[in-house]
Amino acid sequence: MREKQPRLVVTFHTTAGAVATERLCRKRGLEGKLITVPRSLSSDCGMAWSAPPELRETLRAALSEAGIEAAGFHELPL
Amino acid sequence: MERKNWLRENWLILATGVVVGVAALVLTALGNPKNMGFCIACFERDIAGALGLHSAAKVQYMRPEIMGIVLGALLAALAAREFRARAGSSPACRFVVGMFVMIGALVFLGCPLRMVIRLGGGDLTAVAGLLGFIAGILVGVAFLKKGFSLGRAYPVPAGEGFMLPGVMVVLLVLLAAVPGVLKFSEEGPGSMHAYWLVSLIAGGVVGVMAQRSRLCMAGGLRDVFLLRDFRLLSGFLAIWITVTVGNLILGNYNLSAASQPIAHSQYLWSFLGMALAGWGSTLLGGCPLRQLILAGEGNGDSAVTVLGMIMGAALAHNFGLAGSADSVVDGVYKVGGIGVNGMVAVGLGFLVLLLVTLTHLPGKEDA
Repeated sequence: MREKQPRLVVTFHTTAGAVATERLCRKRGLEGKLITVPRSLSSDCGMAWSAPPELRETLRAALSEAGIEAAGFHELPL
Repeated sequence: MERKNWLRENWLILATGVVVGVAALVLTALGNPKNMGFCIACFERDIAGALGLHSAAKVQYMRPEIMGIVLGALLAALAAREFRARAGSSPACRFVVGMFVMIGALVFLGCPLRMVIRLGGGDLTAVAGLLGFIAGILVGVAFLKKGFSLGRAYPVPAGEGFMLPGVMVVLLVLLAAVPGVLKFSEEGPGSMHAYWLVSLIAGGVVGVMAQRSRLCMAGGLRDVFLLRDFRLLSGFLAIWITVTVGNLILGNYNLSAASQPIAHSQYLWSFLGMALAGWGSTLLGGCPLRQLILAGEGNGDSAVTVLGMIMGAALAHNFGLAGSADSVVDGVYKVGGIGVNGMVAVGLGFLVLLLVTLTHLPGKEDA
């Protein structure tokens, strides 16, 4: 049984934001993957970006530079 | 151990699927049309008829299930502090896309939820619809990957979020207190219904559970194709299995492609109708059931989508776009389906969805 690890979860206002983040992170070699928004975070059924927690500030800067608006940065065990 | 973990994490969506399936079986046993315990498309169409928005006499009834779903979702969202009034995400486009999702569903004679219920009744004609639905979602997903977006919603005054639930309350009051102002079918599917309070409660329970679990037919397939995530799809499968088992127990399971209740065997147009519904639902971010839930949570854009679907239902019956069921006439099996008007409407729907899609992709500099 895989143990849950703390992960940074970035949520977005639109699915397009999540998809654009995936493209950006792949381009820059930043670790992470698309996931469904955890139910504990929201009743919205969209997508979020899951990454190692230590990438919080790197991602914040990268998203800001790329003009991708994030709804929030959360840390939770996944 | 892994299986136990998966069950513990996903019990709610599975339980929701079972509850929706049981509710559908109970409502059919108590009077709803066969293989139609729930159908968001058909029921919104019946509501349009009850209000006189169309004059198809056999499909006019103020379906309390729809009001129950919205109000159940509202109560669940308020209780969980998840009610958020928001709007502003391309409402005009959503209204029109909602119209064509409805038209596509009525061509097939069922929303994605009824599609699963029909499959659970052994209705093999629904397989064409399922394949079309999957195809439509695949098209929608391809455009999501290219960055399609109807834009974000913004916080708005609470009144905006409460408007559609408020409309549902008014419709309920009309049904319960002043039914004389409404139209009621005296024959046909509109005349087949469970006692209104039972329908309302069943809808309310479904609304609560669908809000808590985020159940969505289109979302389930979208998540599989985009993320290899089977969570939402498991709810979809739970409905199918529950309805199948229930129908087998009740002796109502009829595995056949002929003479299924309120179904036709014009397979190409079932496929295309549900492809339209699937593509449109993906662009909207949820199937017709999910739009009702989101509207109950305060989403003004979903409220507009629901109104668009009701308009689509009215247009479908005023212009002869909707499908008709197979029938036996003088001992000869007659295939139902749609006429030329319906075919043109489906074609127009694909064109409109393509235009909406192409005008909502990121520019080259944003790609």
